[in-house]
Formats: sequence, C-alpha cells, structure tokens
Amino acid sequence: MPESSELVRLPPSVALHARPAGAFVRAAASFAAAIEVCANGRQANGKSILEILGLGADGGSELTISASGDDAAAAVAQLSELVATFS
Amino acid sequence: MSASTNGHALVGLVIVSHSASIADGVAELIAQVAGPDVAIITAGGGPDGTLGTDGDRVRKALQAADSGAGAVVLVDLGSAVLSVRAALAELDGDATSHVVLADAPLVEGAISAGVTASTGASLSDVAAAAEEARGARKL
Repeated sequence: MPESSELVRLPPSVALHARPAGAFVRAAASFAAAIEVCANGRQANGKSILEILGLGADGGSELTISASGDDAAAAVAQLSELVATFS
Repeated sequence: MSASTNGHALVGLVIVSHSASIADGVAELIAQVAGPDVAIITAGGGPDGTLGTDGDRVRKALQAADSGAGAVVLVDLGSAVLSVRAALAELDGDATSHVVLADAPLVEGAISAGVTASTGASLSDVAAAAEEARGARKL
C-alpha cells in the first residue's frame, strides 16, 4: 500500500488549537488514506479532532504527517501545505 | 439547511443543556471548528428562561435538526437525558430512527461529532465520533 510522510513545522504564532485542528481534520477526512500525525512524542489519528487537539502542539513545533493508502502522497502534500499556511 | 458542498444532507446536531448560555456557547464553538454547513439546533434552559430543560423545545429541536441524514443529540446532565427520551417517545417511529442520543461529554462530544458531520459522515459514524470523546485525554 502506498505510504508517504513529511515533517512540517507549524507557523510560530499558530498552535494546533481548535480552529486549525478542525480545518486539518476536515481536510484529512477528504482522503481515503489512513492519516497519522506525530508531535511531542505523541501520535494522533489525523481524522480525529480530539486526538489532534490532544497532541498539544504549540506554534513552531514540528509535526510528522504520515499517510497510508492509495491517495497517501496527495494527502500528505495537501495537509503539509495546509499546516504551513495556517495563520 | 444542512448540506455539504456537493449537495447531500449532513447529519445535524442537537445540543440540550440546562442552561441556554451553555447550549448557545457550545453551538458557537462547534460552528467555529466544524464550519458553517452543519445544522446545530439548541434546546437550552427550562420554560420562561429558568435553568432546566423544556420538553417542548427539545422535541422541536429534534425535528429541526434532521434534514434527511439524521441527527445526533448531546446532553449535559441527568434530566436532559430524560427530556430527550420523553421527546423521542412523542415523535413517531420514523423520526426517532434517525435520531441518536450520544453517551458523551457535552463539549468534547459535540466538537467531535460536529467536525465528523461536516465531512459528510453517516449518522452512525457521527454518533461514534461523539462517544469517542468519553475516552479522549485532555492532557
């Protein structure tokens, strides 16, 4: 099964709190691939808002976005772009 | 009207709280996180603005939230559960088969359900997302 992964950094002023986390999860849900996000030594299902919020990722922190499935590469590319452009 | 951008109906949410302020605040928060497409109907407070629950308002909210894909109900405490069950008993069987009372904490359950509903997920998936909140760690 195709897999893809990318390390991205949250903009310095944007923590992964409710609004950006909601945008991330809604984007992730549009892909068939399973999506995982790791930060602070924790991992979260990219399609679960509560797990993403539970990462407690502060502005400027690194996230590893991984996907597994036919559209994994597109998912990682789009979600990485989304994270980089949070404002 | 709750519909996704590609036109099919989204699961709606009903927020039942003893306090109108709590219900309205939860609805406002969900709309911020889940976007504008999910119907969120509140039934907060008792008759005449008191703290409590109002069976008539709950029943109308249950009817208003279902635009075809069903509705998930989130409640705060004790008698809110009784009010929802009583309202469901008054509605006919077809309506009640599309309404699920979630066993979940109000704020976290509503956020989880709202975001999931916004993606066009099914009634059972939205209800499951609400109930996932029971085990979600906050810290």
